[in-house]
Amino acid sequence: MDPFQRYRVDMTTTSPLTSDAPWVELRTTDEDWAQADPVLLATMLGQLHLIRAFEETVLELAGEGLVHGPAHSSIGQEGGAVGSVVGLRSTDGVNGSHRGHHQFLAKALGHVAPDGLDLNALVTPEIRTVLHRTLSEILGLAGGFSNGRGGSMHLQWHEAGALGTNAIVGGGVPLGAGHAWAQKHAGTDDVTLCYFGDGAVNIGSVLETMNLAAAWDLPLCFFIENNLYAVSTSVAEATGEPRLSGRGPGFGIASWRVDGMDPLAVHLATTAAAEHMRGGRGPAVIEAEVYRYFHQNGSFPGSAFGYRTKDEEQAWRERDPLDLVARRMVERGLIEDDAVVAVRSQAQAAMALLAGELTEPDTDGKAGTRRIRAELWPDTSFADVGIRGDLSEIAEVRIEEEATFTGRLDTTRFIDAVAGVMDRRMETDPRIVVLGEDVHRLKGGTNGATKGLPEKYPGRILGTPISENAFVGLGGGMAMDGRFRPVVEFMYPDFLWVAADQVFNQIGKARHMFGGTGAVPLVLRTKVAAGTGYGSQHSMDPAGIFATAAGWRIVAPSTPFDYIGLMNTALALEDPVLVLEHVDLYGSTGTAPTDDLDYQLPFGRAAVRREGRDVTVLTYLSMVQHSLEAVEQTGIDAEVIDLRWLDRASLDWDTIGASIRKTNAVLIVEQGAVGTSYGGWLGDEISRRFFDWLDQPVARVTGAEASPTISQRLERAAIAKTDEVVDGLRRVQEGFGTSGVDR
Amino acid sequence: MAHLLLMPAILAGATEAVLLSWHVQPGGSFAEGDALAEIETDKALVELTAEEAGVLGRAVVLDGQRVAVGDPIAVLIAEGDTEADIETALTAGAPEATSASEPSLDAAPPAASDVPELPAPSPSRLFVSPLVRKLAREQEIDLTQLTGTGPGGRIVRRDLEAWVAAGGSGRRPAAASTPPPAPAEVEEIPHTGMRRAIARRLTESKTTVPHFYMTAELRVGRLLDLRAEVNARPGTHVSVNDLLLKAAAAAFERVPEANVVWTDDALRRFPTVDIAVAVATDAGLVTPVVRDIGAQSLTRLSTSVRDLVDRARAGRLHQHELEGGACSISNLGMYGTREFSAILNPPQSSILAIGATRDTVVVDDGTIGTAQVMTVTMSVDHRAVDGALAAQWLAEFGRIVEHPVSMLV
Repeated sequence: MDPFQRYRVDMTTTSPLTSDAPWVELRTTDEDWAQADPVLLATMLGQLHLIRAFEETVLELAGEGLVHGPAHSSIGQEGGAVGSVVGLRSTDGVNGSHRGHHQFLAKALGHVAPDGLDLNALVTPEIRTVLHRTLSEILGLAGGFSNGRGGSMHLQWHEAGALGTNAIVGGGVPLGAGHAWAQKHAGTDDVTLCYFGDGAVNIGSVLETMNLAAAWDLPLCFFIENNLYAVSTSVAEATGEPRLSGRGPGFGIASWRVDGMDPLAVHLATTAAAEHMRGGRGPAVIEAEVYRYFHQNGSFPGSAFGYRTKDEEQAWRERDPLDLVARRMVERGLIEDDAVVAVRSQAQAAMALLAGELTEPDTDGKAGTRRIRAELWPDTSFADVGIRGDLSEIAEVRIEEEATFTGRLDTTRFIDAVAGVMDRRMETDPRIVVLGEDVHRLKGGTNGATKGLPEKYPGRILGTPISENAFVGLGGGMAMDGRFRPVVEFMYPDFLWVAADQVFNQIGKARHMFGGTGAVPLVLRTKVAAGTGYGSQHSMDPAGIFATAAGWRIVAPSTPFDYIGLMNTALALEDPVLVLEHVDLYGSTGTAPTDDLDYQLPFGRAAVRREGRDVTVLTYLSMVQHSLEAVEQTGIDAEVIDLRWLDRASLDWDTIGASIRKTNAVLIVEQGAVGTSYGGWLGDEISRRFFDWLDQPVARVTGAEASPTISQRLERAAIAKTDEVVDGLRRVQEGFGTSGVDR
Repeated sequence: MAHLLLMPAILAGATEAVLLSWHVQPGGSFAEGDALAEIETDKALVELTAEEAGVLGRAVVLDGQRVAVGDPIAVLIAEGDTEADIETALTAGAPEATSASEPSLDAAPPAASDVPELPAPSPSRLFVSPLVRKLAREQEIDLTQLTGTGPGGRIVRRDLEAWVAAGGSGRRPAAASTPPPAPAEVEEIPHTGMRRAIARRLTESKTTVPHFYMTAELRVGRLLDLRAEVNARPGTHVSVNDLLLKAAAAAFERVPEANVVWTDDALRRFPTVDIAVAVATDAGLVTPVVRDIGAQSLTRLSTSVRDLVDRARAGRLHQHELEGGACSISNLGMYGTREFSAILNPPQSSILAIGATRDTVVVDDGTIGTAQVMTVTMSVDHRAVDGALAAQWLAEFGRIVEHPVSMLV
């Protein structure tokens, strides 16, 4: 029996709802081909052949085992790339996926030959250099665009507007949105195209960014290369709406669907979309149907793996974009058949020569095999170079410490210092932009951190939709572009998990992965909220997790004075910096300047809050005060060090070492649960650096095993405060033994 | 109560001795201080005297028998002890030992006599903090002597500090007993590692090495003239000490048997003459070694010495520069000290203590006159160098100092 039977009424009327955003399919006509600019057609033909020959060489080298890692071939998909890129400017941006050689090359070729290609002299020296550097990068060689560290899946050339392809499915799309945001707010009408496949169209990064781009009217084009298969999974299996461009209208985005094997169609669709975006009407979606002739990776056809038929593959080859453009040009009398062959030969010859420059006969291997030329490899000493910047950007700044500050100091609430320093920096640096949930309302967001700022700096305090992954990624793209300096807020640290790919795989790795020189000046603010009853999923201290990421710096100010200095440093650094706050500190007071908010704290310097001889207490944030209270209560002569800089690269080993050599005992104090705790790696490092100075094992105060729950009593038992530090100090004291010789 | 009398070690390091003859018969009684037996070592004949009154219960060893040090030679009993008691004492295993009284040695100053202890049985595992292990290694402390009060019986820093403050215990003679608590006005200067090292090494030297002393008064007029002449050359600053070093080296070359040090198994003789110079620094006494003095010209020697002295004062000597040589020279003449005797620098066998030069009345061939005289006192390790050899060396040294030209030939 239908449970709703008794409530059913049949007098309802329904009317179809439609999206405000247009959704169309575009096809070329003979007229389009007849009208197309011959230079455009010639350029497209030349690029198609260069890319095809390049990709064939990559597969050849991969077959010889010379491509370390995967080789995701774009053979068959060149039409979608060439058609869409050919009309773009160098200042327009593109990024792509693991299968991104074709778009990268199209953009690079367009950059070095902005007036088009000459089919009679196809491979100019500039083009040869582009091919050389791209192939070098794919082979992991020092001469590549990213010094060999990016490879096939992380191809970047900022000068050409190639923002960097991405090995995480959809990973580059939020970053592309950041680039588009910067283009728009720098007053240009440039656009950004993010290329990804049918496999990516269902992932969070893409869908969140579609929403964000539409909400913020970003000039961002979501270019979906639908090649019908994600490895071996068909589109029909993976989604309920196989017309992938259909997602656009759902987000209010103008969407086009086009035959990706027809480069002219792709070009015309892109032109229309670009006009839409350059006109400030927001983002666009283009879905291009293409086909990769080979399997996901390597040089075997997909049919060999059983998920599609040889007939299907053959049918698509008959729609080959190289053949289509050539045929149309021959029909119009723009080129002869043998000239077409010559184009192909030029491309192949250039690639054969290039492969020969990068390889040599392998004298240790079987006859006829090749190997990479030894001198082309990057030096192994380069492996850890350029994880972060070299700090030259803060070499000439004014340093202050509260103890020696000679200016006027007033009693200041911590949260007022937070808003105060942000106000000052936004006043002096128009590049700074704040993003986060509700930061633009509620008189300064959820805690008052942005109080007064939305009114003073309209358009620069951005309230985001609830999409941490997308908006921190947007911040990352903004930072990598460099025209703006984003300050992103995570309302609770636990939300880093929602955004983990953008935070760690993208922002945290970008500089190193792309060769070591690309700055990522992003500041991320978040507050530890353990003790507020928000429960297991809102109570973490993220320091331990962030400390695992080599690319992130972490500062943890425990006083208003220090907050000002450390935030100023964070904003000046060219690296991603986590500025860690704590709810317990917001209402606390200290002395801070009100008329001088321009100083920095010394880089990498901890603060000795209390001198002592018997144990070194290492701690940060709200636990500094708890530690000092515990020391008073126990009467133990402890040296309490406020670390202030928490990441491995910035930690103050000098201060820590001097203290341990004096006290011979260490107590690491933090509040949060053991699993995600910060002190594990620190204790390990101390045990090895200072083994001969330790009179007892490194001791620790942490929260309990599980994340704190909402029940007030249970929550208190799950975190560390003063009582737990008292207990820790007593444990250390037991390690002193009972021989009562005092120094 | 019957107890065993053990063969004592007359000299440190001796492993056996001969019981020449008993002075008491079994059953005979003796008073405190009576001679019980005569004991012969390689070098000396010594009377074994009774520490307290008693009766010789049984002689375990007979006249003329060679015995290992530490082995029982007799059972001493009190009035009323029976044969059974004697048997018990003999089979008891490791009874309490009576330590030998200080024997008297002829011709040599008294040396402390050690009863060598059996090494304490080491526990199967010592729990020690890494810090204490490092400190013990640096200060050559035997950790088996300490008790740990840390968790699990771990020896921790405060245990080590307490042990050191109490003067330590165990094999080494106590350097100092626990000092009485100091009155409030007294300043306590904590020991540096160097101060402790000096205390330990020189205590060990003074108490375990048989020192004897020999003095000579030397006419140094010609030496001082030679120095003036040498220093007349611009840029030359040779000191009296440099000349004395050169003289000592020459003496060793003529009496090479004195260029030796004692080791447990052999006398080690050196192919070159290396002599250490005592340097007073702010941190304490340091004795860097000047190498192969014979091969160096006077001016070069002077430069070497000055370099070592400067670096010693700056604390920048290398460890290898502090080791080696059979002899040291120590000069306190600049303080006006007339005469003094120095403590041997282990493992060296001699040290020459130089006093101040003074004008004094002398007698030559019955005629009274004045001359510049310097008193030097030599301390010698009797294990390595006997009196006659030392006297020979000192005479040679004196001859060279008084006729310094002979250093050239």
